[in-house]
Amino acid sequence: MNRLTRAVDRWFGRGEFSVTVPPMDGAFRPNDRLDAAAIALELPAPDALAITSRGLLVSSDARLFDVGRPSAGALVFEAEITALTGLPDGGAAAGLSDGRIVFTDGRTIPAHPEIRCITALAPASDGALFVANGSSAFSPHEWTRDLMATTPTGSVWRLDSATGRAIQLAGALAYPHGLLDEGGAVVVSESWRSALTRISPGGAGRPEIVLDNLPAYPGRLSRASDGGVWLALFAPRSQLVEFVLKERSFRERMIREVEPDAWVAPSLRSGRSPLEPIQQGGVRQLGVLKPWSPSRSCGLVARLDANYRPLSSLHSRAGGRRHGVTSCLAHEGQVFFTAKGDGVVASFAELGATP
Amino acid sequence: MTASPGAEPPLLEMRGVGKHYRGVAALKDIDFDLRRGEVHAILGENGAGKSTLVKILAGAVTPTQGEIRLDGEKIQIAGPSAARRHGIAMVFQETSLVPTMTVAQNLHLGDEKFFNRLRGTYIDAQQFLQSLNFPVEPTAPVQSLGTAKRQMVEIARAVRLKAKLIIFDEPTATLTPEEKRHLFALIQRLRGDRVSIIFISHALEEALEISDRITILRDGAHVITGEARAFSRETIIRHMVGRSLTDELYGRANVARRLRAPGAKVLSVQNLSMQNQVRNTSFSIFKGQVTGIFGLVGSGRTETARIIAGIAKRDAFHGGDIRLEGRSVRYRTPRAAVSDGVVYVTEDRKGDGFFESMSVADNVYIGRISSRDSRGVLARRSEAQTLAESWTKRLNIRALSVASRVIELSGGNQQKVVIAKGLVQKPRLVIFDEPTRGVDVGAIAEIHHLIGALADDGLAVVVISSYLPEIMSLSDRVLVSRQGRIVEELSANEATPDAIMFAAVY
Repeated sequence: MNRLTRAVDRWFGRGEFSVTVPPMDGAFRPNDRLDAAAIALELPAPDALAITSRGLLVSSDARLFDVGRPSAGALVFEAEITALTGLPDGGAAAGLSDGRIVFTDGRTIPAHPEIRCITALAPASDGALFVANGSSAFSPHEWTRDLMATTPTGSVWRLDSATGRAIQLAGALAYPHGLLDEGGAVVVSESWRSALTRISPGGAGRPEIVLDNLPAYPGRLSRASDGGVWLALFAPRSQLVEFVLKERSFRERMIREVEPDAWVAPSLRSGRSPLEPIQQGGVRQLGVLKPWSPSRSCGLVARLDANYRPLSSLHSRAGGRRHGVTSCLAHEGQVFFTAKGDGVVASFAELGATP
Repeated sequence: MTASPGAEPPLLEMRGVGKHYRGVAALKDIDFDLRRGEVHAILGENGAGKSTLVKILAGAVTPTQGEIRLDGEKIQIAGPSAARRHGIAMVFQETSLVPTMTVAQNLHLGDEKFFNRLRGTYIDAQQFLQSLNFPVEPTAPVQSLGTAKRQMVEIARAVRLKAKLIIFDEPTATLTPEEKRHLFALIQRLRGDRVSIIFISHALEEALEISDRITILRDGAHVITGEARAFSRETIIRHMVGRSLTDELYGRANVARRLRAPGAKVLSVQNLSMQNQVRNTSFSIFKGQVTGIFGLVGSGRTETARIIAGIAKRDAFHGGDIRLEGRSVRYRTPRAAVSDGVVYVTEDRKGDGFFESMSVADNVYIGRISSRDSRGVLARRSEAQTLAESWTKRLNIRALSVASRVIELSGGNQQKVVIAKGLVQKPRLVIFDEPTRGVDVGAIAEIHHLIGALADDGLAVVVISSYLPEIMSLSDRVLVSRQGRIVEELSANEATPDAIMFAAVY
């Protein structure tokens, strides 16, 4: 009977198959605290952050800047930087859009045939490197295309930084986009599953969900100074997008006929083109964008405890100016975040944001 | 169109009118006057005494003190028929028409001729409805009509009885905007015909739009009467919620108290919908915390709770999802919810809460039988006895013995039996709907203490109340419901009466 009910529910889109999004309440209650954060640096599309012996680094396209000394000049790579991490020796490793991993000390790991979409890197305690491969079919640029494809093809790998040997820890992940080493196990943020999953050593165990039903798509993870976790969420979920994800033929036609920027899909920054969906009367009143209006983009950073339970969050709402937060990192009492959609690196006091 | 106010004596005067129920004042010393051809809005929170006041005029309640003058003459309104004789008619929210009879029959109800000719009745009704410009078919059975048309029939009946004063109790709560416009046009027409109108509404915009004067009641007492244009939404809300006597019972508002930190998320309601009563509402409930849900009557709080508890059913399509500890649940019966640890303590205890002719012990044991821990098919009398004794002691239920019938207990003790019946099911989520309605002051304190203790024990507790001080004194987190959805979330320290009321009515 239960199986039959599930089949009927699936057909009619009822119960667990209904088009819903989790509420932004409790720890995710909206505020404007990201908009109040102090700007550290303005760059085109800042993406990933890393702490090194040189200071805090931020990637922007193919360049790497020192957040504290932006005038000191940028380190320029041959391809766009799609992931970045600080290493225990004070250096940094950057994943490039062509699949290579380049270290600041000059070493390079050539592209692995199955790792073409590096979205996050994290050093393991034994010197190896965890690598999140967002998708086996699309590049990091095409993340909305990967969402619309609805087939999870992401994977997490363990890479020996000396030999370049790669072992797949888990596959069929829905766009892994953040990594956090737990001393053996690794916690991965799966964007399209709106969940954090733990992958245990050896890769033999099934991924275990540690937090799910998030109201936005999770991005990169980092450790808070008191042992908790900072999580960047780069775009809000919406009923409209969830609905489109269930409508195959509509989606296929949209992908075929409409420019990607105008898709009914999440975005790092919305509201700038007259061609995009959801605009005008529904979101504007007397020319002013309503902060509570449905939006395809937002800014959101969540503070989780050591058990990955959300404690509080900082927002930039529909009318805000810090959208598309892809990374956040605690550094010297401040939490820095990259609002990729709005081209801003900003920071807030870690203590004030921790309940 | 409007009569020049003050130029002639008022149609209705009430002086020092009060109503006491067993020593408790529901209405105290009210002075009220109504001019000819004016629309007078009466506003106040739930329980402010609005309904009692108009029920006195409609003859449904007899005042215990004071005098009423109509056209300058002192009158006694002994019952509804006396009110009708005096030209006072009341249009209820739930209309008092006979649904199986036609419009024409309803119009003539109580006024039938000895030899009744159906055709004549229809012709008469047709002419009358046309004269009022009401597009209602006289031969249609009332049950086939929408709410607005039913109200038209009700109003037509009032006009037909040559009512000088028509009272509208929450007329717009269930109307669509289109229907609302018709109703307002009608009220304007009645005003033009020098009919005086009393208008009760929770929608402040409507009161400001339609009325000439506004009277605000609070805690059964008169607060202010004035010209509508002298009020704004803010001043109305301030007059409605300003507190005095309730501070003693519920603690002072705005005084910071220790709040319980939220535990894990127990319940996530996502885009839940049920017709036009619950509209795409979403919220979460956490362990170890009291979540208060405030909303005016008709804001969909109870309906949402009833869907969660499996009593009502969400829409079959686009009805949304409810997740209990991460698992999607859709209960077809309350029993399934109870066995999952979801307990709903009803607001209507007499109707749904207990079996009044059964004993305290039996009622508590019924709760036990339906719980997930219950095993076996035989009812054990001794278990029922011990269970009831331990719960009467724990909740301080004052009954002669556990064998006493529930109907013999006071309201407060009856409520405690309902709570015991719920708690015996070992819930993980308890929803209290108006837990202290019709309960004496002593029992209110005990029930409040119990609700706090449950949250301290780590249970997820929800309290639905339309009484602001109760919500503010109990809750660690306040959700505000309006028009079928949760529109605001406030922490208890931010939840001032003004902030809550603002969210509830805007």
